[in-house]
Amino acid sequence: MSFFRRNRSPHPVPLWRRYRAFFRPDVDADVDDELRFHLEMRLADFERRGHTREEAERMARAQFGDVEDVRAWLTDHDRHRQRRETRLEIMDSFMQDVRYAARRLSQRPGFALTVILVLGLGIGAATTMFSAVDAALLRPLPFQRDDRLVTLNGITIPLQEITDQHEADITDARALRNLFTAVSAYAAGGINLSDVNAPLRLNVALVTNDLFTTLGVPVAHGRGFSADEGRPDGPKVAVLSDGLWRRQFGADLSVVGRQVRLNDVPYQVIGVMPPGFRFPQETDVWLPLTIPSSFTQFEAFRGWMPSTVVARLAPGVTPGQARPVVKSLIEKFQSPERRAFPSKEPAVAPLRDVLVGTQKRALLVLLGATALVLLVACANVTNLLLSRALAQRSELALRAALGASRARIVRQLLVESMLLALSGGVLGIALAYAGVRVLGAVMPPRLAGAAPAEVDWRVLLFSLLVAVLTGLAAGLWPALGASRASAGETIRSATPSSSLGREGTWARRTFVVAELALALMLAVGAGLMLRSFQALLALDTGVRPTSVATLELTLPSAAYASKADRRRFYDEVVSRMEASPGVTGVAAVNELPLRGQASIAITVEAEGAPPVPPDQMKMAQLLYTTPSYFSTLGIPVLRGRTFSTPYDSARPPEVIVNETTARQLWPGSDPIGKRLKSFFNGPSPVVVGVVGDVRPVSLEVRQIGQMYYDFGSSPPSNAALLARGTLPPAQLARQLREVVRDVDPRQAVYNVRPMTEVIAGAIAPRRTNTTLLTLFGIVAVGLAAMGVYGVIAYGVTRRTKEIGIRMALGAQPRNILALIAREGVLLALLGIALGAAGAWALRKVVASLLYGVSADDPLAFAGAAVVLFAIAVVATLIPARAALKVDPARTIRVE
Amino acid sequence: MARDTGGMLQGTLGLLILKALVVQDQHGYGIAQWLQDVSGDVLQIEEGSLYPALRRLEDKGLITSHWAITENNRRARYYALTRAGRQHLRNDASTWLQFAKAVTLVLRAEPSVL
Repeated sequence: MSFFRRNRSPHPVPLWRRYRAFFRPDVDADVDDELRFHLEMRLADFERRGHTREEAERMARAQFGDVEDVRAWLTDHDRHRQRRETRLEIMDSFMQDVRYAARRLSQRPGFALTVILVLGLGIGAATTMFSAVDAALLRPLPFQRDDRLVTLNGITIPLQEITDQHEADITDARALRNLFTAVSAYAAGGINLSDVNAPLRLNVALVTNDLFTTLGVPVAHGRGFSADEGRPDGPKVAVLSDGLWRRQFGADLSVVGRQVRLNDVPYQVIGVMPPGFRFPQETDVWLPLTIPSSFTQFEAFRGWMPSTVVARLAPGVTPGQARPVVKSLIEKFQSPERRAFPSKEPAVAPLRDVLVGTQKRALLVLLGATALVLLVACANVTNLLLSRALAQRSELALRAALGASRARIVRQLLVESMLLALSGGVLGIALAYAGVRVLGAVMPPRLAGAAPAEVDWRVLLFSLLVAVLTGLAAGLWPALGASRASAGETIRSATPSSSLGREGTWARRTFVVAELALALMLAVGAGLMLRSFQALLALDTGVRPTSVATLELTLPSAAYASKADRRRFYDEVVSRMEASPGVTGVAAVNELPLRGQASIAITVEAEGAPPVPPDQMKMAQLLYTTPSYFSTLGIPVLRGRTFSTPYDSARPPEVIVNETTARQLWPGSDPIGKRLKSFFNGPSPVVVGVVGDVRPVSLEVRQIGQMYYDFGSSPPSNAALLARGTLPPAQLARQLREVVRDVDPRQAVYNVRPMTEVIAGAIAPRRTNTTLLTLFGIVAVGLAAMGVYGVIAYGVTRRTKEIGIRMALGAQPRNILALIAREGVLLALLGIALGAAGAWALRKVVASLLYGVSADDPLAFAGAAVVLFAIAVVATLIPARAALKVDPARTIRVE
Repeated sequence: MARDTGGMLQGTLGLLILKALVVQDQHGYGIAQWLQDVSGDVLQIEEGSLYPALRRLEDKGLITSHWAITENNRRARYYALTRAGRQHLRNDASTWLQFAKAVTLVLRAEPSVL
């Protein structure tokens, strides 16, 4: 019997694993065969013992049991087993490839590490930027059906004090029931918490009583605002954020129902929001925004707070459908003056647009930049893999000769590049973790409402995908090339002049040109950003911020109800501070310049001037300052003088204007002694001085007119204090804080900082964008230089014999150098030309991010080209010099 | 009668199959025959239940199977002991023998003891 047996394996490996690889057996037929064999044998046995065939058959079946049952069980079992085996087999050969690839790579750790590092840089940069984009633009907002939430621009909150409606307000929008199921509003500002041991500055949001419902976020403890609390003169109630509740009240549930003092006014805590809910802007506490609202409600917030109206679209309604209706509603109420300044914002926009704001463009451009970096990294790795494939030509040829199919070799090489790419991906993710932390620190204030950037499963999935695509993209070309060559090539003919050698060289040159072109595009982008930044730094802010310290505060209206109370407080602080050693000037202002926050500007007219059509009205920023403000902040008084001291309300009001306003209202004549048309009922203010322009809100906002009134005439409850001195600004700032504490220990102060920091804050977003884009540019240029170096170095090795012959025939070193360098220079020029064309085509993309420089700035283009060319030449010369060390006698003898 | 012993044998059927394969590789029918031969028709099993038992042993890696030609020139699936199977048989046979002895003792004990 054993005589007939075949396929007997001497291995412990189960037999089926070897033989099923060749012909997958038909499971059903095998089960049938096995059972039939059994039954027939049994039948024959019974027949032999003298039973009739029918009898024998019945007996055999009886002895067997239920044949169909067993057959079904076996078929099912065997099918399962076969599927499992197929999977195992695939895994097996895959693991074999992985092991083989790992072994091959570990033989040249330098190569592997270079590739992993290059890919890690590319993937890390892309992942970091993606996490930022994901947080800002992709991840759903933490609200119910956030895609149905829109903001309505141009809709206001009615004021109790103004009875004649001249603008479309929230009640009109609420009437559009077929468009919106809910319409709410919010306004964000700051408020003092005065109850606890140390006074604290909090971020507050005034919200209509239904805002939480509109967003679809339930209150975690207690309750939200009732309709009663949303009416003017309703009960004073507050809802706390989870963070404030934990930090300040030790997560004590009994705080619900207790009272807290905000700006010295008692509010009853009625609820606590769930963790993570900080809408709209890092909010600590929510108070009701009443409808109609009133001036008294905004007293604590500079008398005014810009509100945003947010609505939930009715089912089936698109923002596009709602837009014309809201637009015509706004126009219905608009005064002709107002219509002269049409809003640039769409009447109905997704809520996310408001939250992300102007960062969207920058984020997308930066993500695009990292994509370019990744492409450069890919091209670089492709080249590295190509040269490796060349070096391993003979090994691959041997494998092909031994029967490895082309598909198998391609797979093997792809597994290798995939292994590298995934290792690069792991490194990239590690870099992204660090990158996101850095990004969080340098990015402008966290995106309101949306979560901060973080590496979560979406980001991980993204980087995994990028890594796999990178592995494919970088590995496929070399793998196909190498396998094609090895199939046709014999082991012996592995000479440099082989077809693969020539083809590979062209491929490598192509990739290097692509790298150079991409790098140039990034370099041009970085150049444009740097030029913008330079233009911004060169810009005159109008103030001398060094040696100036500042802090901000809000006087609670309860304790400082009258102008006299406030005036006394400021006078006391200023005189005490002035008396401190090392202080040369102290001032107060209602609004710091360049603080990056919206500011109030009103129309301004010269007294006696002819009436001006609404669309030609001049606007001026309304500021209140103490007389010493200009000297303290280093703003030049160009004509006239500052306010007379001490303030005397009996004198006619004095006003100081900036150059821009002076030029706009009194072109060509001296404004001193002229009068402004009064914007409130009372005597017209007389111009006593003209001062230099100061950049308003931000450096990048166009210069506007400014007018200064005497701080003493109307001491605001919100103010900034400034001090100039010989002390270091940080110390000066601390001293300022001490003085405020001495005067009123219960008064909270915030933003205690040197003035230079205020200015730095104004350019922080641009600094971040510029730094990142420059960084990406440097990485790309570095990678491209590496690519050039690789190609030239390979060319030198390949042409060693030729160089040797030339030298033997009397070529001078500089001839050899020129011969080698020519290739690098040509590649660089071609890459730069292509890159410049690409950058030119894409210049519109960055245009909106630029300041003071046009997107086709020749200096940025030329500068980037020159830098890249110089680096490419250096990358060429290093390997070219190696060619000079060629020993003619030895090289000719080789081979 | 056959049903009773079959049920009792369920747990030990595997052991018996392994035992059947010690001397030489066998097909399912051969194993059934051997069981009948050595137990002298006392141990009657439903022959069909042999096959699921064989698959389970194969899944555990105690036996392997392959197709081969019988002496009568027919194609049949043969089963063979693996090294693990042999080891298993050695370990389990002794435990089983002890168990069998215990069962015998219990069955002989006084009804009151039961």
